[in-house]
Amino acid sequence: MLDKAVGYGLIWDLGVCETVDKSQQWILSAMQRHGPELVTILWRILGNEQDVCDAYQSTFLQLAHCWSGGKPEHTKAYMFRTASNVAVSILRRRLAERERLSAAIVDKADVSPPANELDSKYLQERLRCCIARLPEHLRNVITLRDLAELSYAQIGRMLGISAATARVYRCKAIQLLSLWMNKEERDRL
Amino acid sequence: MNKTQDSRPETQVTNYQLPITSYQSPGLRLNKCRQIRAWLRNAIRNYLGPDADWVQDHIGNCPRCHRRFVSVGKINLALSLVKSQPHKPDLLMRANSQAIGVLKHSLREAPKAQKLKSMRPEPKLLEICSMHKSSATNIAACIAILFLMKTSIFSFMDTFQAQGQKAVRQYYVNHVGEDLANDIFGS
Repeated sequence: MLDKAVGYGLIWDLGVCETVDKSQQWILSAMQRHGPELVTILWRILGNEQDVCDAYQSTFLQLAHCWSGGKPEHTKAYMFRTASNVAVSILRRRLAERERLSAAIVDKADVSPPANELDSKYLQERLRCCIARLPEHLRNVITLRDLAELSYAQIGRMLGISAATARVYRCKAIQLLSLWMNKEERDRL
Repeated sequence: MNKTQDSRPETQVTNYQLPITSYQSPGLRLNKCRQIRAWLRNAIRNYLGPDADWVQDHIGNCPRCHRRFVSVGKINLALSLVKSQPHKPDLLMRANSQAIGVLKHSLREAPKAQKLKSMRPEPKLLEICSMHKSSATNIAACIAILFLMKTSIFSFMDTFQAQGQKAVRQYYVNHVGEDLANDIFGS
């Protein structure tokens, strides 16, 4: 009797496992379909390969555990927004860590900006810092428009706003970024 | 009584529409609307955009606007720099492997997962097409020339030449006589 019960239990477990497996196959399909775009956007936000891998992993982990393992209604939008949020969190953590270390090791006044202001890495890092400081609604638009290269219509659909609003948000984001970058520059000088 | 829904006045002009000379299908009208919108957008951009002459003149003379323009330009430059930095081709493969590693066992062992672990970024169809754009244009031009040779334009040229020759021959017949004209044109 006991053997039979164990046998039925195993069969039942196998059945459940197969069902879960089939129901979550969409995660792999989503990875296949949107993975390259996600890696590109994460790379552009973070600029560091290990951080990209970590953010990518966190995105899919969240995707697998949200909605009780079910598929969200707009998978692409969910993935892009999750990836963007995770990447910005990593970026903020990295910046805080860097600031703490630089304050501990050297006096800030000793660190001078590179002679060549157009030094690409310096400019990119400064831009990333400023993007991480943007309010969420502006940051989402600038990330999706300029880093993921999506159209305003697609961004509108993803964020639940109109294309015109997305356009206005981008304009505001650019204004804020330029203001902050100029201010930083003046402070350093 | 016999008027159908499709019958429309010959010319309709409203304060926001271009004249509709005859009945147009909704698709055609939609296309026209789209064209007009694009035209308006371009016109506004040309007249009010940062490249317009009067804007450039002002920026050249106003230090405050000049500063703003430069700082916005710097942001655009930084964004293009960020976009132009390529990542290593195996980054997608590594990211997939790491992400699949934390999924449940049944997903990790799926054949698709194995394929994803060795996946590399591939250019999109549009990018592939744009690479072969010039050769495709050349081939299309050759096909168009062949088609024209086979059909209308060259036969039209032949007809045109024959008609011209006939007119000149008639002129000679009238002025120097038919015998001499036959000698000249060889018939």
